[in-house]
Amino acid sequence: MTYRRARSLSHLLLRPAGLLFTAFALLSLSSNLYAQDWFKTETSRGVSNIRIAVADFKATASDPQTTPLKQTFDSTLFNDLSNAGIFDIVSKSLLPQTSPGAPGEMNLAQWSAAPTSAAMIAFGAFGSSGGRITVNGFLFDAKNAQFPQVLSKQYSEEANDENARQIAHRFADEIIFRLGGGVPGIAETKIYYVKFSGGNKEIWAMDYDGASQHQVTHLGTVSLSPRISPDNSRIAFSSLGREGFQIRMYSLLLNRMVNFPAAGGTNLSPAWSPNGRDLAFSSSRSGDPEIYIADSNGGSIRRATSFRGPDVSPVFNPKTGSQIAWISGRTGLPQLYIMDADGSAVTRLTDGGYATSVSWSPNGQFLAFAWDRKYGPGAPGGQDIYVMEVATKRWIQLTHEIGRCDFPSWSPDGRHIVFANSSNGRASSTRIVSMLADGTGRRNLTEPGADMPNWSWK
Amino acid sequence: MADLSWNSDEYFAEDNLRKNFFGSLALHIVIAALIGGLAYFHHRGHNWGENAANAGAIQATMVSSLPLPPKQRELDTGVLTSENPSPAPLIAPEKTEPPPDPHEVALPEKAKPPKVAEKPAPAPPKHPQPTPPQPMKAATGETAGIRIPQSTLELKNGTASAMVQDRTFGSRFAYYVNIVNRTVAQNWYTQEADPRASVGKSVIVIFDIDRSGAPSNPRLETGSGSASLDQSALRAVQRVEGFGPLPAGDHITVEYTFHYTQP
Repeated sequence: MTYRRARSLSHLLLRPAGLLFTAFALLSLSSNLYAQDWFKTETSRGVSNIRIAVADFKATASDPQTTPLKQTFDSTLFNDLSNAGIFDIVSKSLLPQTSPGAPGEMNLAQWSAAPTSAAMIAFGAFGSSGGRITVNGFLFDAKNAQFPQVLSKQYSEEANDENARQIAHRFADEIIFRLGGGVPGIAETKIYYVKFSGGNKEIWAMDYDGASQHQVTHLGTVSLSPRISPDNSRIAFSSLGREGFQIRMYSLLLNRMVNFPAAGGTNLSPAWSPNGRDLAFSSSRSGDPEIYIADSNGGSIRRATSFRGPDVSPVFNPKTGSQIAWISGRTGLPQLYIMDADGSAVTRLTDGGYATSVSWSPNGQFLAFAWDRKYGPGAPGGQDIYVMEVATKRWIQLTHEIGRCDFPSWSPDGRHIVFANSSNGRASSTRIVSMLADGTGRRNLTEPGADMPNWSWK
Repeated sequence: MADLSWNSDEYFAEDNLRKNFFGSLALHIVIAALIGGLAYFHHRGHNWGENAANAGAIQATMVSSLPLPPKQRELDTGVLTSENPSPAPLIAPEKTEPPPDPHEVALPEKAKPPKVAEKPAPAPPKHPQPTPPQPMKAATGETAGIRIPQSTLELKNGTASAMVQDRTFGSRFAYYVNIVNRTVAQNWYTQEADPRASVGKSVIVIFDIDRSGAPSNPRLETGSGSASLDQSALRAVQRVEGFGPLPAGDHITVEYTFHYTQP
């Protein structure tokens, strides 16, 4: 009992010998604390975003090419850092009018004073000469006057617009990695999607911010649900061929289609396991659409579900690779389920409505899916993106009344979701939209005519 | 004289049996009709699931949080806040002896010393520290500043300050101290601590960070007297997967103090 213990402890301490012992222990402990490498910090609650100022880089060469390239670089860097979701970015109008190019030219007091009040400053020098771009980038801590430098990077690439953008992406990723608690930034990731034109649907690719959209497959038929492999080497998708919908494989290293065995029935929605070795997909080769798992070459196919009712859209748990979430219509309307990768421990997560297209977050804790909770004749309808926590089955609704939303896909940092949205409900006006994982910061990435986005793993 | 004429058993049994049987049947039917009528006409309210407004999956706040920093709060009704707001003194209630279990045999009592009332717990002894160089600017409610060697974050429920004992790491890499501070604070769910027992208390947790930025070995340095607050502080450190690679050195030890000022 507390009472007894206090008595004996105070009894011990009040003795002279005890007092001496306590004093000695305190002193030795405190001297010990000085000796090792450590620091002390404390909190009462909550956080605030890091306030970062992105300066226009200083133009160091007088090459006429420098100006347009530097403009691309500046705007790309600014957009990458403001879209990261972890910064409070200082708007351009509040910045001081100087463009420091080197640490010697940086005046910290100017940048940490109002109205800028920056905690971090990204600045540097950009020059293009002799067909090559050279960039020196610095990240300074405005509050630390003694040792302000956090990052110092140098890049040198061939001079063209695409490289100016990629250098900005790389520098932004470095900053986000350093300041964001070790999670790599997404500025160099890609999104693979379906673009429809005429009667065909082809697989296209673009940067995570919608730039550099280009076509990947040229099959002249309907191709759906592209999924890039975890090592960025292959895209698995479902394509309509002579024998119906089959799983096809396109190699980005060889830039052509590679072989994947065809089978009877309708084969849809491939999904990669996080180690890149297994591919789960939905196949109706036995008559009823079930989830099958094959290895990445199409061999050793095994069945994972065996219940009557359509089972589609599987996705692996990207953190562990040992669970699969998918949509099943075994009780009537399609609902969200999870199970272990061998087919056991089937658990139902949604309790009604019409759920489709599930995506698992990279930290393994959340599922994003499209859900029409009020589905049925006479019901208001409306399909929105929801995020559900796997452990507690509690969900939040991310989109409200922006039209029909579908096919959510998580970014590799777990902070962004990309999805397809059709503002008037018609399939022809579907476009790809990206947002932060709490529903804010929505941006249109494409024009109408794009669907089924998939964010790459890294 | 008694009527001793012999009447056959069947005579009695049959007549009475038929009468009794039908009477019993009628009674059963009446009772059944009564129960049925009662059930039908007595309205019991909604069946489960009929109240469509509340039916469906629970919509509530998540246990884990999305890995985005929560939205920045509006400015404090801006006071010049002090470094360490003094915690509210807590008077523990008088402890009374529980009634003795009836099966217990009363032990012969030794002479007990007189019972002393619980004093409010004093603040944990502060280790002697070098005075940090005084900052040029006063801390207001607006800036989230880092002052060498101390880093202070203004928060809703109080203050968070990171103090660096080892001058070289803290002064060179104050941004990293800040990141550790905000990452652990972000993962501290104050609702895990019982507000009745924890208001005004602080707990100190020590943990190590290795070269890749992963925290390990979180341990309590000083308990706060509230077990739920201690647990919530330990869990906050355990939740963090990493802080990003250490800018220098291959490991570092952090002493992190959690003040609980307001639920």
